[in-house]
Amino acid sequence: MTVPTLSVNDLRVASPFADLLHGISFDISAGERVGLIGESGSGKSLTATSVMGLLPETLTATGTIRLNGVDADLLTAPERRLNQLRGTTMAMVFQEPMTALNPLMRVGTQVAEIMTVHHTETGRRQARQRAVELLALVKLPNPAEAALAFPHQLSGGQRQRVMLAMAMANDPLLLLCDEPTTALDVTVQAEVLKLIGNLVTERGTALLLITHDIAVVAEVCQRVLVMYRGEIVEDGPVGRVLTAPQHPYTQKLIAASDLSSVDDRGRLHTMSMPVVGRPPAAVSAPRQIHTDAAAAVIRPPHRAVHQRLEPGDPPVIFNEVTGAPAISVRDLSRQYRRRGGGLFATAPIVHGLRDVSFDVAEGQRFGIVGESGSGKSTLMRILCALDQPTTGTVDVLGQPIAGASERHLRDFRSQVQIVFQDPMGSLDPRMKVRDIVAEPLRNVNRAEALARVEAQLNAVGLDADVMNRHPHQFSGGQRQRISIARALITRPRVLVADEAVSALDVSVRAQVLNLLADLVDEYQLTLVFVSHDLGVIRHLCDTVAVISDGRIVECGPTADVYDSPLHPYTRQLVSATPSMHELARRVAP
Amino acid sequence: MVLVVLRRIGVFATTVVVASIVTFLMLSILPGNAARIALGVQASEADVAAQATLMGLDRPAIVRYLDWFGHVLIGDFGTSTVSRQPIGPEITDALGITVILVLTSVVLALLFAIPFGILTAVRQRKPDGAILSGISQIGVAVPGFLAGMLLVTVFAVTLRWLPAGGWVDPGEDFGGFLEHLILPAIALGSVQGAVLSRYVRSSVLEVMREDFIRTARAKGLGAGRALFRHGLRNAAVPVMTVLGLQIATLLVGAVVIERVFSIPGLGSLLLDKVALRDLPAVQGIVLVLVVFVLALNFLVDLAFTVIDPRLRSAT
Repeated sequence: MTVPTLSVNDLRVASPFADLLHGISFDISAGERVGLIGESGSGKSLTATSVMGLLPETLTATGTIRLNGVDADLLTAPERRLNQLRGTTMAMVFQEPMTALNPLMRVGTQVAEIMTVHHTETGRRQARQRAVELLALVKLPNPAEAALAFPHQLSGGQRQRVMLAMAMANDPLLLLCDEPTTALDVTVQAEVLKLIGNLVTERGTALLLITHDIAVVAEVCQRVLVMYRGEIVEDGPVGRVLTAPQHPYTQKLIAASDLSSVDDRGRLHTMSMPVVGRPPAAVSAPRQIHTDAAAAVIRPPHRAVHQRLEPGDPPVIFNEVTGAPAISVRDLSRQYRRRGGGLFATAPIVHGLRDVSFDVAEGQRFGIVGESGSGKSTLMRILCALDQPTTGTVDVLGQPIAGASERHLRDFRSQVQIVFQDPMGSLDPRMKVRDIVAEPLRNVNRAEALARVEAQLNAVGLDADVMNRHPHQFSGGQRQRISIARALITRPRVLVADEAVSALDVSVRAQVLNLLADLVDEYQLTLVFVSHDLGVIRHLCDTVAVISDGRIVECGPTADVYDSPLHPYTRQLVSATPSMHELARRVAP
Repeated sequence: MVLVVLRRIGVFATTVVVASIVTFLMLSILPGNAARIALGVQASEADVAAQATLMGLDRPAIVRYLDWFGHVLIGDFGTSTVSRQPIGPEITDALGITVILVLTSVVLALLFAIPFGILTAVRQRKPDGAILSGISQIGVAVPGFLAGMLLVTVFAVTLRWLPAGGWVDPGEDFGGFLEHLILPAIALGSVQGAVLSRYVRSSVLEVMREDFIRTARAKGLGAGRALFRHGLRNAAVPVMTVLGLQIATLLVGAVVIERVFSIPGLGSLLLDKVALRDLPAVQGIVLVLVVFVLALNFLVDLAFTVIDPRLRSAT
């Protein structure tokens, strides 16, 4: 039997307060590509940092970690030995391409450093030369020029390529990647994953790829380890695990990841695994769904026309609604002056949005999908009157909001509410939940406000006794429920959600999406859902607009856009977000 | 890069002009007639009027300002109403002394703060780190003049190693110059050094948690090497901001320290001239002090652009 490249045996990691990894064991053979999947807090990253010997000082690890050709156990090896191994025998790529590179050092120098540190290149000049070659290897355009760039001059995908060049510089036996593409746009993600796959295959590097996204594993790996609460609960070939998961957790994880499959009530599969370490009061209360006649929504007969923007043609009014639309946007443009003009230079103008026109019908669930920098957030901000257009008109519920003063917008603000992406940052950490939820209410006495807050919290599946807690005492999903309660308390007619589930774990995401779908029906809301994730939009929205480079390039009924995309950009986007069926087909042996 | 530097110079020049206007206005709106102040309370109305004409006070404010600032630009600060001597040379001499004093104390503060701050950050969880951190905490709490008096008591009065005050020109006797410089510079720099070391410490602590330090560790750099190669330059950015803010405080401190050590710098000169009610001189000195602060801040700004490439591009 051959010696595995990495052999982890009974690895346990503990903080002074709790055990975090409960004795995990796995091997990776030479050239094998293994995915490690799990939700936040499951211990994926701890596993990788244990292998690298970079655990925070406060944590203690026991067990053994062996690398092929290294006689010492990595957990007990002296720091000097580990320094020799890191960057040569094993290398790691981290998640955050924004912060993982030194902002003050040219990227070529940073790549060269890994060779000068380990003396794998004889001199500084050779190392620099080799760095340029490596940047070419990771397919960075103009590698010689790119080597002289500082990290802030590169895009996220490019920075991640630099990280990869660095990691591969000394031809490691083992490459660890921790969520290498999570922060990237889907189309960029696909390219970077392909690059990682190709590089490790060519060089016979063993790969441990950590991710929360099954699709990423399916793209690159042969084998997958499923991690749950500090244990590996399943280990098998990707195709088998994806199509016939054995462990109940894996089954539920895969079901919850699948946004195209719903149960007989049209709801996503959620995970009801026991949750530890949370106050019992915060566990969701069973929700009552109103089924009386008053709440039965009469869906408007409006159905979007499937259209695309033809190059050179005049701007199209997408999803044009006859009668009174809930939202009507015409010829909307937004330009920014880039910062830094001032005394001697005129600032360059950046086009955030160009000639955007569309309608949203009352009761419609309108998705806006696009990648970072596409203008989707600008559009969202303008729809919510948080930003003003440069030119064009925006009418919401019959009221023009472009150029309206804040006083005139008071009514608008209670009619149009927003749920933001970051459930950590969008709630004031010093306010109690009851004050957060009650804040949008005006001219309501305290007792009534509290009663309404309580009712609203119940409606989003939270118990009334969460009212006196602070946001940090809740999980991401619960915080997002609080945000939704805060948004709905004014009984708005339009709900705008900005990447509302993007920061959530797969299982929680399904719950929040179900909740949003229920509430939209129950309160007869018009929903505008902005996201980078076509899968989420496909599940939740009946109509989708694809936005790219400040323009809507395609719009139509979600199923039509997904099944027969008209615009090349949409096609690219759709193929970069495969459904679970598609994935299963791809990895089938 | 060149463009950015040019723009910074432009901003600097503009602030100097604005500062001169503010200085001029502040002294002109002071109550009382400058001519009477110059001649004293016993002067007759006619003498005061003659003096006002002599000083050009009968002209409109804008003309007086342009006349004054125009001359200042060519180094002419006007004539003292007390000594009837030109003010310029007096200011230049005093400025030289203050510049030496302030810059020396900045250097001393940095020489203390950087290693001390890094040490307390790196040894954060160890007992010695906590003790050192406590020492710098005390340093922050001691005012500069008190530090000065303590230094004099110990090193000049008790030990008799160094002179208690006064000033020697470096061209005259360099050894004597150093002897006279060291105590006031330490007194002035110690508080700033203690404050600065707190910022160095927190900045280094912050940088040590950065992802790129983790990247450096993953590349095989040891903890210390990762900090020195990647951390310190990054940690310098916030420290420089504080340094820029401290410069104004340093000059205020210099005014006091010059008094404590009887050094004939700008601070002493300013206090003398205020006591003599020599308004043209006061006006000139205040302007020079303001420009001095602006110039140092300008240098700090330039240093920023050198350290941080993100500030170099014009966008």
